[in-house]
Amino acid sequence: MSGPNVWSRSRERIRRFPELFAQCAGEAAAYGKCVAATTTGRQELTKDLCAKEFEALKTCFTNAGHKLHFLFVKHSFCSIWTERH
Amino acid sequence: VQNVSCRRLSAGGAMNIFDRRMKRQQRSWAASLQDSSKYDYLREEVGSRVADRVYDIARTFPLALDVGCGKSHIAEHLSKDVVQRLLLTDITHSALKQRRSCEMPTHCVLADEEFLPFRENTFDLVVSSMSLHWINDLPGALRQIQQVLKPDGVFIGAMVGGETLYELRCSLQLAETEREGGFSPHVSPYTAVTDLGNLLGQAGFSMLTVDIDEIQVHYPGIFEVMNDLQGMGESNCAWNRRALLHRDTMLAAAAVYKEMYGNEDGSVPATFEILYMIGWKPHESQAKPAKRGSATASFGDLSKISQPTPSDQA
Repeated sequence: MSGPNVWSRSRERIRRFPELFAQCAGEAAAYGKCVAATTTGRQELTKDLCAKEFEALKTCFTNAGHKLHFLFVKHSFCSIWTERH
Repeated sequence: VQNVSCRRLSAGGAMNIFDRRMKRQQRSWAASLQDSSKYDYLREEVGSRVADRVYDIARTFPLALDVGCGKSHIAEHLSKDVVQRLLLTDITHSALKQRRSCEMPTHCVLADEEFLPFRENTFDLVVSSMSLHWINDLPGALRQIQQVLKPDGVFIGAMVGGETLYELRCSLQLAETEREGGFSPHVSPYTAVTDLGNLLGQAGFSMLTVDIDEIQVHYPGIFEVMNDLQGMGESNCAWNRRALLHRDTMLAAAAVYKEMYGNEDGSVPATFEILYMIGWKPHESQAKPAKRGSATASFGDLSKISQPTPSDQA
Protein backbone atom coordinates (compact mmCIF):
# COMPACT_ATOMS: atom_id res chain seq x y z
CA MET A 1 0.00 0.00 0.00
CA SER A 2 1.45 3.37 -0.97
CA GLY A 3 2.25 5.96 1.65
CA PRO A 4 -0.77 7.70 3.12
CA ASN A 5 -1.73 10.92 1.40
CA VAL A 6 -4.95 12.87 1.00
CA TRP A 7 -5.83 11.56 -2.46
CA SER A 8 -5.29 7.88 -1.80
CA ARG A 9 -7.29 8.12 1.43
CA SER A 10 -10.25 9.85 -0.18
CA ARG A 11 -10.16 7.50 -3.16
CA GLU A 12 -10.15 4.61 -0.73
CA ARG A 13 -13.24 6.04 0.99
CA ILE A 14 -15.03 6.51 -2.33
CA ARG A 15 -14.15 2.97 -3.35
CA ARG A 16 -15.62 1.54 -0.19
CA PHE A 17 -18.80 3.61 -0.43
CA PRO A 18 -20.99 0.76 -1.78
CA GLU A 19 -19.95 -1.77 0.88
CA LEU A 20 -20.41 0.74 3.70
CA PHE A 21 -23.75 1.83 2.28
CA ALA A 22 -24.93 -1.76 2.17
CA GLN A 23 -24.55 -2.00 5.92
CA CYS A 24 -26.99 0.82 6.55
CA ALA A 25 -29.94 -0.43 4.56
CA GLY A 26 -32.49 0.33 7.27
CA GLU A 27 -31.39 3.91 7.82
CA ALA A 28 -31.14 4.47 4.07
CA ALA A 29 -34.68 3.20 3.54
CA ALA A 30 -36.01 5.50 6.27
CA TYR A 31 -34.34 8.57 4.75
CA GLY A 32 -35.40 7.55 1.25
CA LYS A 33 -39.02 7.11 2.34
CA CYS A 34 -39.03 10.52 3.99
CA VAL A 35 -37.82 12.24 0.82
CA ALA A 36 -39.96 10.13 -1.51
CA ALA A 37 -43.08 11.03 0.46
CA THR A 38 -42.77 14.65 -0.69
CA THR A 39 -43.10 13.62 -4.33
CA THR A 40 -46.59 12.24 -3.81
CA GLY A 41 -47.95 14.29 -0.93
CA ARG A 42 -48.72 17.95 -0.85
CA GLN A 43 -45.72 18.78 1.30
CA GLU A 44 -42.90 20.45 -0.61
CA LEU A 45 -39.35 19.24 -0.17
CA THR A 46 -37.26 21.84 1.65
CA LYS A 47 -33.78 21.86 3.13
CA ASP A 48 -33.31 19.59 6.14
CA LEU A 49 -36.87 18.30 5.98
CA CYS A 50 -35.48 14.79 6.66
CA ALA A 51 -32.47 15.86 8.71
CA LYS A 52 -33.23 13.44 11.53
CA GLU A 53 -33.29 10.43 9.20
CA PHE A 54 -30.18 11.65 7.40
CA GLU A 55 -28.20 12.04 10.63
CA ALA A 56 -29.09 8.45 11.55
CA LEU A 57 -27.89 7.30 8.12
CA LYS A 58 -24.70 9.32 8.32
CA THR A 59 -23.89 7.99 11.80
CA CYS A 60 -24.40 4.42 10.66
CA PHE A 61 -22.27 5.05 7.56
CA THR A 62 -19.42 6.62 9.54
CA ASN A 63 -19.46 3.83 12.10
CA ALA A 64 -19.38 1.21 9.38
CA GLY A 65 -16.32 2.98 7.98
CA HIS A 66 -14.54 2.90 11.34
CA LYS A 67 -15.34 -0.79 11.83
CA LEU A 68 -13.97 -1.69 8.40
CA HIS A 69 -10.90 0.47 8.90
CA PHE A 70 -10.18 -1.25 12.20
CA LEU A 71 -10.57 -4.69 10.61
CA PHE A 72 -8.26 -3.66 7.77
CA VAL A 73 -5.57 -2.39 10.15
CA LYS A 74 -5.89 -5.49 12.32
CA HIS A 75 -5.54 -7.71 9.26
CA SER A 76 -2.41 -5.94 7.98
CA PHE A 77 -0.86 -6.06 11.44
CA CYS A 78 -1.54 -9.81 11.63
CA SER A 79 -0.04 -10.47 8.21
CA ILE A 80 3.09 -8.44 9.08
CA TRP A 81 3.41 -10.38 12.33
CA THR A 82 3.13 -13.75 10.59
CA GLU A 83 5.66 -12.71 7.96
CA ARG A 84 8.22 -11.92 10.59
CA HIS A 85 7.82 -15.23 12.33
CA VAL B 1 -31.69 28.33 -4.42
CA GLN B 2 -28.55 27.40 -6.23
CA ASN B 3 -30.12 26.84 -9.62
CA VAL B 4 -27.38 27.56 -12.08
CA SER B 5 -28.11 27.81 -15.77
CA CYS B 6 -25.92 29.49 -18.29
CA ARG B 7 -26.80 28.41 -21.79
CA ARG B 8 -24.79 30.65 -24.01
CA LEU B 9 -26.06 31.71 -27.40
CA SER B 10 -23.34 32.37 -29.91
CA ALA B 11 -23.74 34.93 -32.68
CA GLY B 12 -25.12 32.35 -35.10
CA GLY B 13 -27.93 31.49 -32.68
CA ALA B 14 -26.47 28.05 -31.97
CA MET B 15 -26.44 26.73 -28.43
CA ASN B 16 -23.16 26.29 -26.58
CA ILE B 17 -24.10 23.88 -23.85
CA PHE B 18 -21.26 21.38 -23.84
CA ASP B 19 -17.54 21.80 -23.33
CA ARG B 20 -16.35 19.82 -26.35
CA ARG B 21 -12.74 19.92 -25.26
CA MET B 22 -13.69 18.28 -21.97
CA LYS B 23 -15.78 15.67 -23.79
CA ARG B 24 -12.77 14.81 -25.97
CA GLN B 25 -10.64 14.39 -22.83
CA GLN B 26 -13.27 12.22 -21.13
CA ARG B 27 -13.69 9.95 -24.13
CA SER B 28 -9.95 9.73 -24.66
CA TRP B 29 -9.45 8.77 -21.01
CA ALA B 30 -12.25 6.19 -21.17
CA ALA B 31 -10.91 4.62 -24.36
CA SER B 32 -7.43 4.22 -22.87
CA LEU B 33 -8.60 2.39 -19.73
CA GLN B 34 -7.14 -1.08 -19.33
CA ASP B 35 -10.59 -2.65 -19.09
CA SER B 36 -12.42 -0.16 -21.29
CA SER B 37 -14.25 -2.95 -23.12
CA LYS B 38 -16.25 -3.79 -20.02
CA TYR B 39 -18.06 -0.45 -20.41
CA ASP B 40 -18.95 -1.02 -24.05
CA TYR B 41 -22.17 -2.96 -23.48
CA LEU B 42 -24.52 -0.11 -24.25
CA ARG B 43 -22.65 1.03 -27.36
CA GLU B 44 -22.46 -2.55 -28.61
CA GLU B 45 -26.20 -3.06 -28.21
CA VAL B 46 -27.15 0.22 -29.89
CA GLY B 47 -24.56 -0.32 -32.63
CA SER B 48 -26.06 -3.68 -33.53
CA ARG B 49 -29.56 -2.17 -33.66
CA VAL B 50 -28.37 0.58 -36.02
CA ALA B 51 -26.78 -2.11 -38.20
CA ASP B 52 -30.17 -3.92 -38.24
CA ARG B 53 -31.75 -0.79 -39.66
CA VAL B 54 -29.06 -0.58 -42.33
CA TYR B 55 -29.88 -4.16 -43.35
CA ASP B 56 -33.57 -3.27 -43.55
CA ILE B 57 -32.74 -1.09 -46.54
CA ALA B 58 -32.27 -3.41 -49.51
CA ARG B 59 -29.35 -1.58 -51.04
CA THR B 60 -25.61 -1.74 -51.35
CA PHE B 61 -23.80 1.39 -50.23
CA PRO B 62 -20.47 1.94 -52.01
CA LEU B 63 -19.25 4.56 -49.53
CA ALA B 64 -20.43 5.08 -45.96
CA LEU B 65 -19.50 7.36 -43.10
CA ASP B 66 -19.73 6.69 -39.35
CA VAL B 67 -19.93 9.97 -37.43
CA GLY B 68 -18.66 9.83 -33.84
CA CYS B 69 -17.84 6.15 -34.26
CA GLY B 70 -15.97 5.59 -30.98
CA LYS B 71 -14.50 2.13 -31.29
CA SER B 72 -16.77 1.45 -34.27
CA HIS B 73 -19.62 -0.64 -32.93
CA ILE B 74 -21.79 -0.54 -36.06
CA ALA B 75 -19.38 -1.75 -38.74
CA GLU B 76 -18.61 -5.08 -37.08
CA HIS B 77 -22.22 -6.13 -37.75
CA LEU B 78 -22.20 -5.06 -41.40
CA SER B 79 -21.09 -7.14 -44.34
CA LYS B 80 -19.15 -6.18 -47.47
CA ASP B 81 -22.29 -6.70 -49.57
CA VAL B 82 -24.07 -3.89 -47.75
CA VAL B 83 -21.27 -1.39 -47.23
CA GLN B 84 -18.28 -1.53 -49.57
CA ARG B 85 -16.07 1.16 -48.05
CA LEU B 86 -16.36 2.88 -44.71
CA LEU B 87 -14.94 6.08 -43.26
CA LEU B 88 -14.76 6.33 -39.49
CA THR B 89 -14.60 9.66 -37.71
CA ASP B 90 -14.28 10.44 -34.02
CA ILE B 91 -12.90 13.28 -31.91
CA THR B 92 -10.51 11.04 -29.99
CA HIS B 93 -7.47 9.32 -31.39
CA SER B 94 -7.43 6.62 -28.69
CA ALA B 95 -10.91 5.40 -29.58
CA LEU B 96 -10.05 5.11 -33.27
CA LYS B 97 -6.87 3.22 -32.40
CA GLN B 98 -8.97 0.58 -30.65
CA ARG B 99 -11.60 0.25 -33.35
CA ARG B 100 -13.23 -3.16 -33.79
CA SER B 101 -12.42 -5.09 -36.90
CA CYS B 102 -14.93 -5.40 -39.70
CA GLU B 103 -15.27 -6.97 -43.14
CA MET B 104 -14.95 -3.89 -45.30
CA PRO B 105 -11.91 -1.63 -45.78
CA THR B 106 -12.02 1.39 -43.46
CA HIS B 107 -10.25 4.72 -43.25
CA CYS B 108 -10.05 6.77 -40.06
CA VAL B 109 -10.43 10.51 -39.88
CA LEU B 110 -9.99 12.49 -36.68
CA ALA B 111 -12.84 14.99 -36.84
CA ASP B 112 -15.38 16.75 -34.67
CA GLU B 113 -18.99 15.80 -35.46
CA GLU B 114 -19.83 19.50 -35.70
CA PHE B 115 -17.21 20.20 -38.37
CA LEU B 116 -17.26 17.42 -40.94
CA PRO B 117 -14.33 17.82 -43.34
CA PHE B 118 -16.04 16.30 -46.37
CA ARG B 119 -17.36 17.64 -49.65
CA GLU B 120 -21.04 17.75 -50.45
CA ASN B 121 -22.66 14.77 -52.12
CA THR B 122 -19.98 12.31 -51.12
CA PHE B 123 -21.58 9.46 -49.17
CA ASP B 124 -24.32 6.95 -49.93
CA LEU B 125 -24.88 6.22 -46.26
CA VAL B 126 -24.14 8.06 -43.03
CA VAL B 127 -24.56 6.36 -39.67
CA SER B 128 -24.11 7.63 -36.17
CA SER B 129 -24.51 5.92 -32.85
CA MET B 130 -24.35 7.32 -29.33
CA SER B 131 -22.50 10.53 -30.07
CA LEU B 132 -25.03 13.12 -31.23
CA HIS B 133 -26.30 13.82 -27.73
CA TRP B 134 -23.14 15.75 -26.87
CA ILE B 135 -23.30 18.05 -29.88
CA ASN B 136 -23.88 21.73 -29.26
CA ASP B 137 -25.34 22.70 -32.60
CA LEU B 138 -27.43 19.65 -33.40
CA PRO B 139 -29.42 21.34 -36.20
CA GLY B 140 -26.12 22.38 -37.79
CA ALA B 141 -24.59 18.92 -37.46
CA LEU B 142 -27.67 17.31 -39.03
CA ARG B 143 -27.52 19.81 -41.86
CA GLN B 144 -23.87 18.95 -42.48
CA ILE B 145 -24.74 15.26 -42.55
CA GLN B 146 -27.47 15.98 -45.08
CA GLN B 147 -25.02 17.93 -47.20
CA VAL B 148 -22.31 15.26 -47.33
CA LEU B 149 -24.91 12.70 -48.39
CA LYS B 150 -25.52 12.07 -52.08
CA PRO B 151 -29.08 12.65 -53.31
CA ASP B 152 -31.15 9.57 -52.38
CA GLY B 153 -28.57 8.82 -49.70
CA VAL B 154 -29.75 7.87 -46.25
CA PHE B 155 -28.81 8.83 -42.70
CA ILE B 156 -29.43 6.32 -39.93
CA GLY B 157 -28.69 7.56 -36.45
CA ALA B 158 -29.15 6.63 -32.85
CA MET B 159 -28.81 9.00 -29.96
CA VAL B 160 -29.54 8.96 -26.30
CA GLY B 161 -32.49 11.19 -25.49
CA GLY B 162 -35.91 11.54 -23.93
CA GLU B 163 -36.08 10.39 -20.34
CA THR B 164 -32.65 8.80 -20.20
CA LEU B 165 -31.24 8.44 -16.69
CA TYR B 166 -34.31 10.04 -15.13
CA GLU B 167 -33.77 7.93 -12.02
CA LEU B 168 -30.30 9.37 -11.53
CA ARG B 169 -31.42 12.89 -12.31
CA CYS B 170 -34.36 12.80 -9.90
CA SER B 171 -32.42 11.17 -7.08
CA LEU B 172 -29.65 13.74 -7.27
CA GLN B 173 -32.17 16.56 -7.54
CA LEU B 174 -34.15 15.47 -4.49
CA ALA B 175 -31.05 14.73 -2.42
CA GLU B 176 -29.46 18.06 -3.26
CA THR B 177 -32.67 19.93 -2.43
CA GLU B 178 -33.03 18.23 0.94
CA ARG B 179 -29.37 18.47 1.87
CA GLU B 180 -28.34 21.79 0.31
CA GLY B 181 -31.53 23.71 -0.29
CA GLY B 182 -31.27 23.82 -4.08
CA PHE B 183 -29.99 21.81 -7.00
CA SER B 184 -27.97 22.21 -10.16
CA PRO B 185 -28.12 19.99 -13.22
CA HIS B 186 -25.98 16.87 -13.15
CA VAL B 187 -27.52 15.01 -16.06
CA SER B 188 -27.15 16.72 -19.43
CA PRO B 189 -30.20 17.99 -21.32
CA TYR B 190 -31.61 15.60 -23.92
CA THR B 191 -33.52 15.97 -27.15
CA ALA B 192 -37.16 14.94 -26.90
CA VAL B 193 -38.40 12.49 -29.47
CA THR B 194 -41.03 15.01 -30.55
CA ASP B 195 -38.32 17.53 -31.44
CA LEU B 196 -36.29 15.10 -33.47
CA GLY B 197 -38.73 15.00 -36.37
CA ASN B 198 -38.62 18.79 -36.63
CA LEU B 199 -34.84 18.85 -36.46
CA LEU B 200 -34.49 16.31 -39.25
CA GLY B 201 -37.05 18.11 -41.40
CA GLN B 202 -35.33 21.45 -40.96
CA ALA B 203 -32.02 19.87 -41.88
CA GLY B 204 -33.48 18.92 -45.25
CA PHE B 205 -34.21 15.24 -44.75
CA SER B 206 -37.34 13.63 -46.17
CA MET B 207 -39.20 10.37 -45.56
CA LEU B 208 -38.40 10.52 -41.86
CA THR B 209 -38.68 7.64 -39.44
CA VAL B 210 -38.21 8.22 -35.75
CA ASP B 211 -38.67 5.55 -33.12
CA ILE B 212 -37.71 5.11 -29.54
CA ASP B 213 -36.28 2.14 -27.68
CA GLU B 214 -35.88 1.77 -23.97
CA ILE B 215 -32.93 -0.11 -22.53
CA GLN B 216 -32.94 -0.64 -18.80
CA VAL B 217 -29.70 -1.68 -17.14
CA HIS B 218 -29.60 -2.88 -13.56
CA TYR B 219 -26.78 -1.91 -11.23
CA PRO B 220 -25.93 -2.65 -7.62
CA GLY B 221 -26.37 1.02 -6.71
CA ILE B 222 -26.03 4.66 -7.72
CA PHE B 223 -22.31 4.50 -7.33
CA GLU B 224 -21.93 1.79 -9.96
CA VAL B 225 -24.23 3.72 -12.30
CA MET B 226 -22.00 6.78 -12.12
CA ASN B 227 -18.84 4.72 -12.34
CA ASP B 228 -20.00 2.97 -15.49
CA LEU B 229 -21.09 6.25 -17.07
CA GLN B 230 -17.62 7.58 -16.47
CA GLY B 231 -16.07 4.43 -17.94
CA MET B 232 -18.24 4.85 -21.03
CA GLY B 233 -16.91 8.37 -21.51
CA GLU B 234 -20.42 9.68 -20.80
CA SER B 235 -19.64 11.93 -17.83
CA ASN B 236 -21.33 15.27 -17.87
CA CYS B 237 -19.45 17.99 -19.72
CA ALA B 238 -22.09 20.70 -19.80
CA TRP B 239 -20.74 24.16 -19.04
CA ASN B 240 -23.30 24.54 -16.27
CA ARG B 241 -22.32 21.34 -14.51
CA ARG B 242 -21.29 21.56 -10.91
CA ALA B 243 -17.79 20.16 -10.41
CA LEU B 244 -18.33 18.95 -6.85
CA LEU B 245 -20.77 16.53 -5.39
CA HIS B 246 -20.74 16.66 -1.61
CA ARG B 247 -20.32 13.33 0.11
CA ASP B 248 -23.46 13.92 2.14
CA THR B 249 -25.44 14.58 -1.03
CA MET B 250 -23.99 11.46 -2.60
CA LEU B 251 -25.05 9.40 0.42
CA ALA B 252 -28.50 10.98 0.39
CA ALA B 253 -28.90 10.39 -3.35
CA ALA B 254 -27.92 6.72 -2.92
CA ALA B 255 -30.66 6.30 -0.32
CA VAL B 256 -33.29 8.10 -2.41
CA TYR B 257 -32.40 6.18 -5.59
CA LYS B 258 -32.70 2.86 -3.81
CA GLU B 259 -35.93 3.71 -2.08
CA MET B 260 -37.71 5.26 -5.04
CA TYR B 261 -36.52 3.05 -7.88
CA GLY B 262 -34.86 0.01 -6.31
CA ASN B 263 -35.75 -3.51 -7.40
CA GLU B 264 -36.73 -6.29 -5.04
CA ASP B 265 -33.33 -7.92 -5.26
CA GLY B 266 -31.61 -4.76 -4.06
CA SER B 267 -30.37 -3.61 -7.45
CA VAL B 268 -31.36 -0.31 -9.04
CA PRO B 269 -32.37 0.31 -12.66
CA ALA B 270 -31.01 2.98 -14.97
CA THR B 271 -33.06 3.79 -18.07
CA PHE B 272 -31.54 4.67 -21.41
CA GLU B 273 -33.98 5.92 -24.02
CA ILE B 274 -32.43 5.52 -27.43
CA LEU B 275 -33.91 7.59 -30.26
CA TYR B 276 -33.44 6.02 -33.69
CA MET B 277 -33.82 8.22 -36.74
CA ILE B 278 -33.79 7.56 -40.47
CA GLY B 279 -33.79 10.39 -42.97
CA TRP B 280 -33.27 10.51 -46.74
CA LYS B 281 -31.69 13.19 -48.88
CA PRO B 282 -34.35 14.21 -51.43
CA HIS B 283 -34.20 12.82 -54.96
CA GLU B 284 -36.71 12.81 -57.82
CA SER B 285 -37.08 9.04 -57.65
CA GLN B 286 -38.52 9.25 -54.14
CA ALA B 287 -42.27 9.07 -53.63
CA LYS B 288 -43.83 12.48 -53.16
CA PRO B 289 -47.19 13.48 -51.71
CA ALA B 290 -49.82 13.49 -54.47
CA LYS B 291 -50.92 16.85 -55.92
CA ARG B 292 -54.10 18.39 -54.57
CA GLY B 293 -57.12 17.55 -56.71
CA SER B 294 -55.52 14.44 -58.21
CA ALA B 295 -57.72 12.01 -56.28
CA THR B 296 -59.70 9.50 -58.32
CA ALA B 297 -61.88 8.14 -55.52
CA SER B 298 -63.75 9.73 -52.67
CA PHE B 299 -63.76 8.80 -48.99
CA GLY B 300 -67.53 8.85 -49.22
CA ASP B 301 -67.33 5.78 -51.46
CA LEU B 302 -65.72 3.71 -48.71
CA SER B 303 -69.06 2.51 -47.42
CA LYS B 304 -69.89 1.19 -50.90
CA ILE B 305 -66.95 -1.18 -50.95
CA SER B 306 -68.33 -4.73 -50.69
CA GLN B 307 -66.70 -7.69 -48.91
CA PRO B 308 -64.02 -9.36 -51.06
CA THR B 309 -65.38 -12.55 -52.74
CA PRO B 310 -63.41 -15.83 -52.54
CA SER B 311 -62.37 -15.44 -56.18
CA ASP B 312 -60.73 -12.09 -55.35
CA GLN B 313 -58.58 -13.63 -52.64
CA ALA B 314 -56.39 -15.65 -55.00
